[in-house]
Amino acid sequence: MRQALRDPHTWLVMLAGGLLGVCGVWLAVLGNPQNSGICVSCFLENSAGALGLHDNPRMQYLRPELIGFVLGSSLAALGFREFSSKGGSAPLPRLLSGVFLIVGCSVFIGCPIKLFLRLAAGDWTALPGLFGLVVGVWLGLKGLAVGVHLGNAKKEPGGSGYWTPLLFVLLLGFLLLRPGFVLFSERGSAAEAAPVMIALGIGLLLGALAQRTRFCITGGLRDLFVMGLRAQLFWGFLIFIVIALAGSLLSGSFTPGFYGQPGAHLDMLWSFLGMLLVGSISVLIGGCPFRQLVKAGEGDADAGLVVIGMLLGAGLVQSWQLAGTAAGVPLYGKVAVLAGLAFFLLNLLLFRERTVA
Amino acid sequence: MLKDRIDILLGVLLLICAAAAVALLTGQGSQASQSNMAVDKALERDIAYQAKVSFLERLYAPVSELQQAEKLETALLKLDELSRHYPDEAHGELLRGEILLQMQAVPKAIEHLARAVRMSGDYVDQNSPLSRRSMINQLVDVQLPKLKAAATQQTTGRLQATLKDLYYLQGRLAGGCE
Repeated sequence: MRQALRDPHTWLVMLAGGLLGVCGVWLAVLGNPQNSGICVSCFLENSAGALGLHDNPRMQYLRPELIGFVLGSSLAALGFREFSSKGGSAPLPRLLSGVFLIVGCSVFIGCPIKLFLRLAAGDWTALPGLFGLVVGVWLGLKGLAVGVHLGNAKKEPGGSGYWTPLLFVLLLGFLLLRPGFVLFSERGSAAEAAPVMIALGIGLLLGALAQRTRFCITGGLRDLFVMGLRAQLFWGFLIFIVIALAGSLLSGSFTPGFYGQPGAHLDMLWSFLGMLLVGSISVLIGGCPFRQLVKAGEGDADAGLVVIGMLLGAGLVQSWQLAGTAAGVPLYGKVAVLAGLAFFLLNLLLFRERTVA
Repeated sequence: MLKDRIDILLGVLLLICAAAAVALLTGQGSQASQSNMAVDKALERDIAYQAKVSFLERLYAPVSELQQAEKLETALLKLDELSRHYPDEAHGELLRGEILLQMQAVPKAIEHLARAVRMSGDYVDQNSPLSRRSMINQLVDVQLPKLKAAATQQTTGRLQATLKDLYYLQGRLAGGCE
């Protein structure tokens, strides 16, 4: 532990975690939905709606934070000469992983970042999600331990790693120029938003810091299991929770309890299973939804495919009404989570490197 | 990057494509069609929503009139008649909840209001012309402490169901991404 704290990189990771906590609370104060100051899955569902991938008129807005995460990471990677175009590791399973990541998140109502923002605001209905995430990360690690490996990414002399950042440059253009085919909700949660330039600036800053530090929620948990308190990511993760809790208390948004929480439901089993799905898949593909955006920004085409899968999944969960709501989890949402768990188990079977005696 | 003649040729073609796209986007004709497209899409959505709102107002106008004249039982009968044509319709559920509330049938009113909000989030949305946010907020503020206190003394299935509906309404009023 002392060794970890002596390393300046640990302090940079803690700075990233702290800023994520501050901004997560602050963006909700500035206008983002309650407890959703930062939520990668909600933002993806909003953005998918804005691009016409679903027709829920209350969930259509091209979230600037999301664009900032990817482009901030790209700028940092280019600035520090770390931009490297690579890919080719199990592309189709990664694309589908992206879809199921969003299925798990939408059933729980939130990504792993929002899970902790919800807990920091006193939403105890997120507790089963926390247990699910921890168990999911542990299961994912067990999978890696028995030899499951999606294959190595190869450095690509061509430029496939540029495509995800370029896609987000295009989305930035859509956000700023607002062409007629991009939809923006006038009511509902997507109409609640922090000022565009502030949200974009925060996204760029967090994306750049996450690129430098490799900050990741499931990565922090994974490293805690593997390395204990020596894990640098865990310290960033811990600071994120502490700062988010302090921010909630200071902003007056801390309302502890199980009932009447914003964007939450009482289907505890499905919150648990939804986050278990997210945790297990995240370990298998090397990062939570936020980390996938950041990796895609630094030229990882495999992560880019996960991002495309997440965008596709975000459209599907709204179109097929799989997402959990305050009323609970719909039947087909539950079926989709089980299909996701079957997908995870099938990947363990298909990608396990077996030693022949 | 541009190492031979083929690279240079491809680079030039790329520039021509980009310039042509910029010219199309900034040209007068396209600006007009672009803004038309934006107006059309936004207008289409607004018209559809306004049409829905005015249709609902027109459909349920007799019920609202009876409600205002405090002929509450007749209003409920009229609602029953309308619900045969439009069963499980959110606005009908909302009006039924409002009327039952006026009749002091609080648990039943809460049940119907929660059902209406489950079907359409517009009723708790500040920006919607259909919004009943302040009425629902007041209902939750007044009834929740009473029902919580009642639940500590007796736990009937009916009371629990009403409390669950109230918590649901409280959650929707609190916001969140939905």
